Amino acid sequence: MKLTTKLILTAAIGLAAAAGGAGYTHAMVQDTSAELRATGQVGEQSNGYLGIVGSASADIRARVNAVNIRRRAAYTELAGKRGVQIEEVAATMACELLATSVLPGQYYKLADGQWRQRQGNAAVARPAYCV
Amino acid sequence: MKDAMVKKVRLDRTRVGKAVPLAGFAFLSMLPGCVQVSAPDKPIEINLNINIRQEVVVRLTEDVRELRQKEPGVF
Repeated sequence: MKLTTKLILTAAIGLAAAAGGAGYTHAMVQDTSAELRATGQVGEQSNGYLGIVGSASADIRARVNAVNIRRRAAYTELAGKRGVQIEEVAATMACELLATSVLPGQYYKLADGQWRQRQGNAAVARPAYCV
Repeated sequence: MKDAMVKKVRLDRTRVGKAVPLAGFAFLSMLPGCVQVSAPDKPIEINLNINIRQEVVVRLTEDVRELRQKEPGVF
């Protein structure tokens, strides 16, 4: 095979591999918070982030971290836009999530650090500042 | 003529033949699509050490609801 042909082939294979790799990464399904909460190992926290209930595999922890990173980015952006602290945005989101997203049997944690499990349709306790 | 052609092939294999896979590898490693980034193992959440005032929560609630609709999987 001619040298130039070899080089072109190598470049083409490299490009296809990179494109395929990048494509695979984009096609990877990102966890939703609902899916993680449904595992029973992950719960909503009053600080606006997902937390691990008890101990969980490194895989679950990584997936929770990935979601929390996206949350923090969103909180940071909104906080900058409104001139408030990131924690204030996060706490407000937690108020919303605690009110609507913790399904029966799922876990949540308030400022006291204690994991609670929602019993049936019982109301989810929320911090006093929630509206 | 045949000798000239044979000579050319030998030159390719010895000098340039080794450079071809090297060049290919260098090219592949430069491609940005191959970079792996791993998330940190420590949790990213921040402890709530500030006082949350209800007036701020009231003010942010509408924005926060909008944000939830915009990115439903994240929240």
